[in-house]
Amino acid sequence: MNPLLPFLMAGDPSLEALPGLLSEARSLGIEAMELGLPHSDPIADGPVLQAAAQRAIGRGATPLRVLEALAGITDSPDVILFTYLNPLLQIGARRLQTLLAPTPVKALLVVDLPFGEEPAFEADLRAAGYPVVPLLAPTTTLERARQILLERPDPGPGAPFAQRFAYVVARLGVTGTGQAMDLGPVSARIQQLRTISARPLAVGFGLSDPRSLAAVRALGATPVVGSALVQELASGRGLSDMLSGRLVGDA
Amino acid sequence: MTTGFSLSSRFGTQSLGGCYAPETLMQPLLDLEAAFRAALADPAFEAELKTELRNFVGRPTPLTPAPRLAAKLGLKALFLKREDLTHTGAHKINNALAQAILARRMGKTEIIAETGAGQHGVATAAACARLGLACTVYMGVTDMARQAPNVARMRLFGTRVVPVEAGQGTLKEAVNEALRAWAGSCDRAHYILGSALGPHPFPTLVRSFQTVIGEEARAQVLEQSGALPEVVLACAGGGSNGLGLLVPFLGDALRRVAVEAGGHGMVLGEHAARLDGGRMGVLHGCKTLLLQDEHGHTAETASISAGLDYPALGPELAALVLDRKVEVRRASDDEALLGARQLCEAEGILPALESSHALALLPALAAEGVATILLGLSGRGDKDLSTYQARLGI
Repeated sequence: MNPLLPFLMAGDPSLEALPGLLSEARSLGIEAMELGLPHSDPIADGPVLQAAAQRAIGRGATPLRVLEALAGITDSPDVILFTYLNPLLQIGARRLQTLLAPTPVKALLVVDLPFGEEPAFEADLRAAGYPVVPLLAPTTTLERARQILLERPDPGPGAPFAQRFAYVVARLGVTGTGQAMDLGPVSARIQQLRTISARPLAVGFGLSDPRSLAAVRALGATPVVGSALVQELASGRGLSDMLSGRLVGDA
Repeated sequence: MTTGFSLSSRFGTQSLGGCYAPETLMQPLLDLEAAFRAALADPAFEAELKTELRNFVGRPTPLTPAPRLAAKLGLKALFLKREDLTHTGAHKINNALAQAILARRMGKTEIIAETGAGQHGVATAAACARLGLACTVYMGVTDMARQAPNVARMRLFGTRVVPVEAGQGTLKEAVNEALRAWAGSCDRAHYILGSALGPHPFPTLVRSFQTVIGEEARAQVLEQSGALPEVVLACAGGGSNGLGLLVPFLGDALRRVAVEAGGHGMVLGEHAARLDGGRMGVLHGCKTLLLQDEHGHTAETASISAGLDYPALGPELAALVLDRKVEVRRASDDEALLGARQLCEAEGILPALESSHALALLPALAAEGVATILLGLSGRGDKDLSTYQARLGI
């Protein structure tokens, strides 16, 4: 099982630092990571990722520059591009495939794209090797979850984690570190989802301390850590320092 | 539990609209559509809404002939649909009250809303006070400063007004924050979106609660003049007022015109004119004409009118425009100020800055040879007094 799914915002602290960060993550044994594409109107993000996106945009981290910065990088975990739909729509499915081809991007997590809204766009990208990650929220009924997992199918055990996993949103609200989370409902949710799917699950939103990350691992799922990393990275902490303690540990 | 939408979420030949929402909000949106359909099929809902629109809002609003302004502009006849005379002073109350009743039917105990000019915020605050619902309104800091009386009115009604400091501190940022807040409280809260935008079913919901404006106006103008006007004219931010007035005239052989905010210039960032300056994009849950840069980031906007200062045209209105059923024109800040002044002097009516953009187009329409016009006076201008004083030197 993949022990951790870290999130970084592209362009924060800088695009120049990105290749080094990806290489460092890989050397720590990170198999896949999410990379945020900074957006002007991040409606599902809390203050930390909003601020990071603003800083990155201020430094010129436009979608095209981010993809250019990723081009040619091989010493990297598989990258899941975390993004809002509009920048991708403006690039267009065909050009996006060309831009993604030389990058370590293996999947797209499009926050505001429910299945069925852009079927042709999504099908083109999936066919080109860029599936859209299924998201399951606390409000998602089991019936809808089944439908989502069907619409965004598991390519099977031969495919990397980045292209297989479903993202379980652990709580209501936006991204960000919240108060200490009661993992009881998350545990129940994972057990419930296990009855309909055997694919890998990642659990995110509000997780940061090593203990809750270990608790998620104990449930058989991969914990996502995002806002806490972004904040620590912005304050000058090194990636290895931040990740090493979070990759291991008991609940 | 509903698993799919029943109503069409798309508009026009280019399939605008849709439901581009984060997954957390999908079930709440599905539930909202189901509740909306159930309410429309329930005579008790219609009866309660009708009673409240009459006794609380003051409907029907009058259609006022404006003969002195018409004569001054060289028009044969001008009729004003007086949404400024509704309780809380703008058309926004029609939708806010209906959605508040709907929310109560759904068992929601809290209401979230965004506001730009503050009219939707005030209307929602009033409806919530009337129905005993807790209310929180998100408002950009720039708008809070330029529409201070409305902030005070909301607070008097017991509403919590949350300042939004991000970006330009206007309507777009307020919607961002309201959507975020709803994602955190959708188990107990309903989000009363104020314009005909956002993810499905909001555009349809809002339009259906606003077409009372055009339905009344159409009957009134026929009764008063025995004929339909040549032009029906409304200002358009997101499009709740524009659609509310224009949709009931879609089957008629006349010109339907919506006026956007021309701001203070033609360059991106200096206006909120989405038809000329916008490209197809997705913002706040719907696909529509959007002012954006080449990266797909939302562009900055500018308008003297907080209610029109929004980067996207609502999807249904945009679809009607692209399918040539509605014309779009623009009026600058200065033209709007002049339009307001003319109405004040000729008819003794102080219009909101939003409505003044529709008034600003009258001379141009008269110059095109139009003789009879019905204009949607969407709101009253008390909230804009400080701007009028500063800009008109009074």
